[in-house]
Amino acid sequence: MSGATLERRLANYRAALRSGPPDEAPRRTPGDRGDGGSAAGSGSIALAERLAAALDGELILDPAGPVVRCEPATLVLPLDRERLRTLPGQPPADAPLVCLDTETTGLATAAGTVAFLVGLGWWEGDRFRQVQLLLPDHPAEPGLLARLAAHIPADAWLVTYNGRGFDWPLLVARYRMARRDPPPLAGHLDLLPFVRRVFRHRMTDARLRTVETELLGSVRHGDVDGWQIPGLYLDFLRGGEAWPLIDVLRHNREDVRSLARLLGKIDVDFGDPVARAAAPRGDLAGLARAFSRERRLDEALGCLDSALAGAPTQRAVHEDAAPLDPDLDTDATDPWWSPKRRPDIGGRPQRASWEAITAGRLDSPWTEERIAIERGRLLRRLGRHDEAVAAWLDLAGGPGSIAVQAWIEVAKLREHRLADLAGALDAAHRAAGLAERRRRMGLGDPVVERALAARLERLRRRTAQPGATASAPTGATSGSRGSGSIVSHVARTQSSSGSNEQAIVRRSPARAFR
Amino acid sequence: MRTYAPAATESVLDGILDEPSLARGVTHHAVLPAREAIWQEHPDWLDPRIRAGLASRGIERLYSHQAEAIEAVRAGRDVVVVTPTASGKTLCYALPALQAIADDPAARALFLFPTKALGQDQVAEFSELSAAAGMTISTATYDGDTPAPIRSAIRGAGQVVVTNPDMLHAAILPHHTKWFQLFEQLRIIVIDELHTYRGVFGSHVANVIRRLLRLCAHYGSRPVIVCCSATIANPLELASTLTGRSPVLIDRNGAPSGERHVLLVEPPLLHPTTGARGSALTLAHRWAMPFLRAGRQTVIFGRSRTAVEIMLSTLREALRQDLGPRSRVRGYRGGYLPTERRSIEKGLREGEILGVVATNALELGVDIGRLDVSILAGYPGSVAATWQQIGRAGRRGGVSVGVLVASPAPVDRYVVHHPEFLLGGVSEEARLDPDNLHVLIAHLRCATFELPFEPGEVFGPGMADELLAFVAESGHIRQAEDGRWYWSSENFPASEVSLRTAAPENVVIIDTTPDRPRVLGEIDLFAAQVVVHERAIYMHESVQYYVDRLEWHERKAYVHRVDVDHYTYANRAVTLKPLDVFASAPAPAGTRVHGEVMVASLVTLFKKLKFGTDENVGWGPIDLPELELQTTAYWLTAEGLTGGWRRNDLDIALMGAGRAIQTVAAVLLMVDPHDLGLVTQVRSPHHEAPTIYLYEATPGGVGLSVRLWERHGELIAAAAELIGSCGCDGGCPACTGPRLEPGIDARGLALRLLGELGAADRSSGPIPVPA
Repeated sequence: MSGATLERRLANYRAALRSGPPDEAPRRTPGDRGDGGSAAGSGSIALAERLAAALDGELILDPAGPVVRCEPATLVLPLDRERLRTLPGQPPADAPLVCLDTETTGLATAAGTVAFLVGLGWWEGDRFRQVQLLLPDHPAEPGLLARLAAHIPADAWLVTYNGRGFDWPLLVARYRMARRDPPPLAGHLDLLPFVRRVFRHRMTDARLRTVETELLGSVRHGDVDGWQIPGLYLDFLRGGEAWPLIDVLRHNREDVRSLARLLGKIDVDFGDPVARAAAPRGDLAGLARAFSRERRLDEALGCLDSALAGAPTQRAVHEDAAPLDPDLDTDATDPWWSPKRRPDIGGRPQRASWEAITAGRLDSPWTEERIAIERGRLLRRLGRHDEAVAAWLDLAGGPGSIAVQAWIEVAKLREHRLADLAGALDAAHRAAGLAERRRRMGLGDPVVERALAARLERLRRRTAQPGATASAPTGATSGSRGSGSIVSHVARTQSSSGSNEQAIVRRSPARAFR
Repeated sequence: MRTYAPAATESVLDGILDEPSLARGVTHHAVLPAREAIWQEHPDWLDPRIRAGLASRGIERLYSHQAEAIEAVRAGRDVVVVTPTASGKTLCYALPALQAIADDPAARALFLFPTKALGQDQVAEFSELSAAAGMTISTATYDGDTPAPIRSAIRGAGQVVVTNPDMLHAAILPHHTKWFQLFEQLRIIVIDELHTYRGVFGSHVANVIRRLLRLCAHYGSRPVIVCCSATIANPLELASTLTGRSPVLIDRNGAPSGERHVLLVEPPLLHPTTGARGSALTLAHRWAMPFLRAGRQTVIFGRSRTAVEIMLSTLREALRQDLGPRSRVRGYRGGYLPTERRSIEKGLREGEILGVVATNALELGVDIGRLDVSILAGYPGSVAATWQQIGRAGRRGGVSVGVLVASPAPVDRYVVHHPEFLLGGVSEEARLDPDNLHVLIAHLRCATFELPFEPGEVFGPGMADELLAFVAESGHIRQAEDGRWYWSSENFPASEVSLRTAAPENVVIIDTTPDRPRVLGEIDLFAAQVVVHERAIYMHESVQYYVDRLEWHERKAYVHRVDVDHYTYANRAVTLKPLDVFASAPAPAGTRVHGEVMVASLVTLFKKLKFGTDENVGWGPIDLPELELQTTAYWLTAEGLTGGWRRNDLDIALMGAGRAIQTVAAVLLMVDPHDLGLVTQVRSPHHEAPTIYLYEATPGGVGLSVRLWERHGELIAAAAELIGSCGCDGGCPACTGPRLEPGIDARGLALRLLGELGAADRSSGPIPVPA
């Protein structure tokens, strides 16, 4: 197509748009000139001056581009870094911390989204200082990026909320767009995963605003909603008023402060062992997970023990106790006439099944059983097999599918770690008995039953072999967590059934943990 | 012919041709002689590892076109390689990519394939080649199925990234900062199956490539572009329109081939008055049976999934009766699991599977080795696709057979009656218009999002400022003090553009059959009127859906799956008004014009038609607002008609001739006949003369109409041919369209009109074949 034709086509296209439906009409704000703002006085500096005046900020004329800088009031906010350091995922005590939160022109971390406001905060002794950098216009971005880089020392740890997923990748993209390297980071503490792991079970969601209301006990009034923020800034760029951005500035300031306060709360509530023991049971269980992710298993066990110690009555269970009535798996959403729903005749409250408990959603409640299951696993990973067996036996007195699985765990430990084949066989028999009862109730799980049958068969064969009980696996006492080497050892000694067992053992933790 | 006994392909073919009921339908039988390979030694500069890798796979020398291609790329030239199926096209781009990485491990390459499946096959092949060369090259497919953790690894370390245009458009370009290693070091861009980038899709992809090259320039790289195409008339033009560069054409095929028989077959005419013909599926089945019984590997192509399943079951049934190799005949189409497909491909390569009934899923790229016989139940819509399907059969040493069985569609009839169209060099062209304003503006928005525009920066046809200023009126783009144009909206423009449709506003089709409703697809407003109106039967990948609700203002259509024996056809009442004339020239008895038109379309009722017989089994009203479409068109005014036409006769003649022109135009420009709309006016209010309009169904058009205007003479001649060669007695759906009034010779009237319009002046021979 020739250029002339293109021009004519554009003219026709415009004409057609004008006569088109009104919902296609261009969106305009009062100050929008539509001609790209080439009128005098609308340049970056003018925008920056307007912004600085409206927000009571300081105009910095960086050679790379003007930036508006605001400095909110300093807070007194003590933080015991030595104590904080002992918690999982926390930065070393001597690393400077830089809290960071951005406000952007969109939600995509793609090339066309700009971070127009970067809020920063850091500690100077007990005082928490804050600075906010504002972009007055698109072309001024190199100035903002240069200022920002100056605020992040090379040995600093960034503290953010969802910053790994959003704020930091977005800023990296901005540096790349400007064809320069992003400032290096010594570390990045994103508090979102920690909050999800430790507090999610008692929060409606994991947004920072929810953290404030439910954990920090503060409520924002008159706060601007996140979805409004890009529009407020873009309206300003198109010639609109600057004062609506005051709300955005306050929003950002509070976000950064919440980061600091949240870190302080974590430090106070969990850093001190005495305070930690008094924490809610679910928080402790979540903290245990955070510890075990870092392979700090003893501390994780400590958390679980505290959690259970704070718990009410423990059921007294004996190994020879008769199995309790199997539970019916019920779903509260089933209508009353559904055969799946147990008639409500009073009595003991219904319990969750093994699957429901071990599915391990972060927002599912931490019941006593769920914590006890975690504890059993942890003890096994720690190599404290006798205690692990005891923990599982506690659960084995419980109801339904949990008991079946608990007996299976007992059987595994006795067979592979404790070299007690007879005991293992006994445990497997009990598991099979319970599973059979459940099957007759119409609650069978064919996968579990098949695996159990194979286990029984193998155990029978092994107990029949002379001297089999004497062959204790060599790794049984030393191995604290690595099941791999032990299992493969077992696999090698079992010529006929070893590979099958290996597959089961390997699979079970993965399936059960998440 | 009832026994199952191995026989040579040739003797089976002779046997079939001795059978009068089959031989009668053959409209043309061509024998293409065998040809020798043209070899060339490996160039000296080829890395010894690559050389050794090729040797280990039995490739001691290169075919001439391969050598030519890699030399040109070596010299920094862009190339277009145009050679038939299975001529070793892969090496033309794999070798330069391997060599570039051998020279510099930091180098990157980007392979673009039109579909996901094709990309995955090519990754496998490329990986084998690089493994044979002893080079560890990280080659990865980046598409919608790639898991998130792997995505970031590919971004950082993928040396060869294989993707498709949709993914490039929506996931890679807008996130280019995460791909900076790729863009900085990009040496080679491969665009395979170039001929598929035509029409709306091609126009979009051309703009995606503009954006890609713009980002490469930003990161300081200038990659070479290697295009591979099936045989079309204008590969060079297509490649240069698509890439904006001037590539070298490499079309001298050096690969050997065996003797090949190509037969064009037409089902018998059952009823001369209605023009009803026998089924293509049945005839394809009858042609396939003798080959299968004789143990010849045969592929049968159907045009839809349903056709494939029907042929598969009848073939199996027939082979069971005859105790033939029933279990060795398999189906192959989209919707089969990848593992199933791989096992079928392997079975075909190893000869384990004797026959396969496939959709065009098997047409492109997939490696199934070479078979004996390829039977096409219906013209696949383009010469290029026809040759790709026929090319599935073709053993180097022996004889192969390709059979094209025409369906009752007019296009099919035209093709089997014009063997020179298929065999005499190619006259079909791939058209696209990257400067279609709707498309161009959509991508200009995406490009601004990706990188601000410098004042005076060129994008596509010229400096972008004027268009940017136009977009700025909507507030999504602003020009800052430094003169640059910045994206200033919270929207993500790439998500608003689908490469497969032209209009910015689409109706989303939602399938409510599963528990969790899912989006089936999108369709532009204009098409939505006739395809997803309430109570329509909507076909998606050969599955039928019933449209429960069309929320016109929400732009949503709710459908659920059904299985019925009819389809729906909506009547569109179209009025057309010329807006602007771009070009105009005298033609016999009138004037031919290319310009812009406004088409207003109102859909008021639909009919239910039975499959197969097209019998009308009901109707219903449609209540939808009128739509306007601004598009380009080609039209013909016949102000110079003599011969005392009666108004009614002229009306029928214009309609009949128009239908034939529409058919022929669709064939020549490789488009679906529905991409061109037809309006005829006995006395056009604008021109005050009888007029035939062919307008493009895409908003703004994709460059079809200007070519129709240029090829006016051919169109008239070919339309007269199409009608003249039809066996019907007074017009039928295969030539002048369904007959509206019995007893009127629509065929004769249309021929008379076309004669006056110049068809008689030309030698009534075949379409002139471009040199």
